[in-house]
Amino acid sequence: MTHISCHGVTVKFGGIVACSDLALSVEEGKIYGLIGPNGAGKTTLFNVLSRFQNCDSGSVYYRGQCIDRKRPHEMVHLGISRTFQNINLFSEQSTLDNILVGAHRLAGSPFANMLALPSARKTQRALLARAHQVAELLRLENHLDIPVRNLPYGHQKRVEMARALASEPEVILLDEPVAGCNSQEVEELKDFVRMINRELGITVLLVEHDMSMVMEVCDYIYVINFGSNLAEGTPAEISRDPKVITAYLGDEE
Amino acid sequence: MFGQQVISGLAAGSLYALTAVAVVVVFRNTRTINLAQGDIGMVGAFLALVFIKTWHMNYYAAMALTVIACVALGVLIERLVMRRLANADWLTLFTATLGVFYILHGVAGWIWGRETKAFPVPFDPTPIHFLGTVASFGHLTNIVWAAVIGLLLFTFFKYTKQGIAMRAVTDDPETARLMGIPVRSIVTLTWAMAGFLAAFAGILIAPIVYVSPQMMDEILIKGYVAAVFGGLYSIPGAILGALMIGVTENLAGGYLGSQFKTATAFVMIVALLAVRPQGLLGVQRRRVI
Amino acid sequence: MNEGAGRGRLLPAASEGGPFVNADLLRKRAATAALLAGFRRQNMILVGLLFFTAAVAPALPFVQDWMATQASLVIIYILAAQGVSILTGQTGLVTVGHGGFLAIGAYTSALLAKYFAVDLSIDLVSGGIAAGLIGCVLGLIFLRLAGAFMAIGTLGFAFFVGAIVNNVPIFEGRDGIQMPHSHLFGMRLDDFGFYYVSLATLGLTTAFVYTLLRSPVGRAFRALRDAEKAAESSGVNRLFYRTLAFTISAFLTGVAGVLNANITGYVSAETYGDIWYSVDFLVATVVGGSSALMGPFVGGAFIVMVPFYLEQLADFAFILKGVVLILVLQFAPAGVCDLIARPFRDLRRKQLQRVQDDAAKTPPPALAALFSRGRQ
Repeated sequence: MTHISCHGVTVKFGGIVACSDLALSVEEGKIYGLIGPNGAGKTTLFNVLSRFQNCDSGSVYYRGQCIDRKRPHEMVHLGISRTFQNINLFSEQSTLDNILVGAHRLAGSPFANMLALPSARKTQRALLARAHQVAELLRLENHLDIPVRNLPYGHQKRVEMARALASEPEVILLDEPVAGCNSQEVEELKDFVRMINRELGITVLLVEHDMSMVMEVCDYIYVINFGSNLAEGTPAEISRDPKVITAYLGDEE
Repeated sequence: MFGQQVISGLAAGSLYALTAVAVVVVFRNTRTINLAQGDIGMVGAFLALVFIKTWHMNYYAAMALTVIACVALGVLIERLVMRRLANADWLTLFTATLGVFYILHGVAGWIWGRETKAFPVPFDPTPIHFLGTVASFGHLTNIVWAAVIGLLLFTFFKYTKQGIAMRAVTDDPETARLMGIPVRSIVTLTWAMAGFLAAFAGILIAPIVYVSPQMMDEILIKGYVAAVFGGLYSIPGAILGALMIGVTENLAGGYLGSQFKTATAFVMIVALLAVRPQGLLGVQRRRVI
Repeated sequence: MNEGAGRGRLLPAASEGGPFVNADLLRKRAATAALLAGFRRQNMILVGLLFFTAAVAPALPFVQDWMATQASLVIIYILAAQGVSILTGQTGLVTVGHGGFLAIGAYTSALLAKYFAVDLSIDLVSGGIAAGLIGCVLGLIFLRLAGAFMAIGTLGFAFFVGAIVNNVPIFEGRDGIQMPHSHLFGMRLDDFGFYYVSLATLGLTTAFVYTLLRSPVGRAFRALRDAEKAAESSGVNRLFYRTLAFTISAFLTGVAGVLNANITGYVSAETYGDIWYSVDFLVATVVGGSSALMGPFVGGAFIVMVPFYLEQLADFAFILKGVVLILVLQFAPAGVCDLIARPFRDLRRKQLQRVQDDAAKTPPPALAALFSRGRQ
């Protein structure tokens, strides 16, 4: 069943066309990749899918329902989480606090929380348990009380992912998860992405430049260039596609 | 009556513009919201009063001396207070100017006292009739002064080496520094300019609002409202905003009653920011996600 | 896959309070959790001690009436600073206009007292609610503002309120409103009575603020402050929480306004139509520091006590406030509280480190004990 899809997405910034009639469809339970040269419109499309950006035309669907009217904070309630390209953590706060915010949608009624009613206290304990579970999953359990700005870059990327996982999502949008990581960190993140997909059944759509990440981890890949769809297919098909090779892969190698 | 209100509105607006432009220039170059801008002018007004009344100086000589004093005060503030905080966040910078605001208020009150004092004008206050309307000579001189200063600024930014350097610093301080532009002296120059503009604002407004430590408080706010019209970045926007405030509040005062005069500027700012958070001519800075 | 797991779910849903699976992790966290809970107890004891001292101080021999009034004034400022700190320190929305909310609270109280002769308890609630409502509206109007523009907008708001109280006849401008003597539940309040009412109010608000900021609501505020887009993508409703922050913040300062009106029994545009309160509260917040709990206490005390000691030389008070403010910014930018607390924080951090290092060696506690120890 289709989890996320969009068609006809066009986004213009003044005179520049960032996205032109883009379409893609993400099936439940698989890992999808979105690649393209710099400036191809990948992050803009991401922002459209996560509702941080409005499109001038086109629509976005989740489980068949049109979500054009949804606001960014409502996405998490639908089951869609996202990470950010340049780490967007709450840098002065601890790892645990960062993850706890990620679980915000499970926090219950704000008014019960403000007055510390018994129901709220129960929810808070469950929230804490959830945060610990997620931290353990991403092997962050020893770093929970450290302000995240003191963590190494690879760990910060993991906190970003943990925060996205904390809300019990069905779909995760990963924006360049391994940007700026060394090769060891890249391998770790590859494992994590595979793990959350296989163990937890979460659908993943990731934007990435690192080819090993995309080719080894993704089940299906969309290639875009100059804001339009260029090609799509399995990693094997994409690596053979002459259009892609000319536009992107060939020049990279 | 309409013409009269418009002229006096333009005159008031011209003086608000002096403060508004200073606010924009300081903000652009140093990311600082300068709450002490008005008070530099206030000190200037007091000094001018001393020069004229106690030292019996000629009005224009006193004005010149006051301008020098205010420029010095601006540079002093930069040197003693702002330089140490150069890399701090904007709230720290703003609160530092708040500290200067307190100090200037206290110093002025201590030296010269809190009661309001009259300020002399160098010309005959009888109104002039022209174009079917009435205006006071004072209004016209204010407009002329502001226009002259505006022209000076325009020339400065467009044609002088320092002016062009300042624009570079505004756009991109890092690159400017890499290109050898002495950013620190530009910052000093910025505060000197703030003092320069404040001096004129203080002296020209003094006859209208009388001299006291709190004389510039309301004008400071109006200057900020005007600056926000230009998104805190555009000088023409700030000038336009200032003139609009001056005219609107005079019209409101004339036709609706004087009690509405003071509220006008604040209604305008609240309404403006609600509708266009980046100001009328401001640029909405896009955040990169 | 773990038993009972659903898609994306590690265990039976978190909202059902599912237990940990990993005993090892439990053990490690148990000691840490206990230590953190201990720190919180220490903080609460400290604050409790402060209130206790404040409550019994009037029994001391050298205490006189004017001291009670002065102390009440400090409490009022602390209360107002708590309001500012929720909006500025916690949610990151800088306000230079809270004098407006103080005025709303004060004038609500004055008008109610003059025309309806109401009890102080009703006054406090009404003034707070009136300010809170306006705060809510302002939060909505300023929804898209940030940073410097928010500061200027709120400054404009304060002047707007000033313009209203100066010009709208019912508020009697500079002549002001003379209020009948305040009474609580029928009893007439003297200086000490008023002091205790203020102290009790502060106690209630402090407890409320403490609970609020430790809850997910407080986390939502801080998330919006630190990384707004990330907060939104985590499900934090910007409109709701921003407006909530404004409302609560305005409510608290409004309550302070009611007390402020009653302490002198007189309100006029001369004091409330100015920016001094607004900037004073901001200074209190900055000097006090970002600690949401103790910051307002330190800052509020500072801003009131400085002019007090220079009563005869009010202008020197201004100068001193400005100089101290600048010095604090240059040498202790995180505020005085931070400066004082630094050695304690370092000590606590060392304790935490030691506990986490030791955790591997200690035997695991019972599972049930973990959840019943009041641990949050």
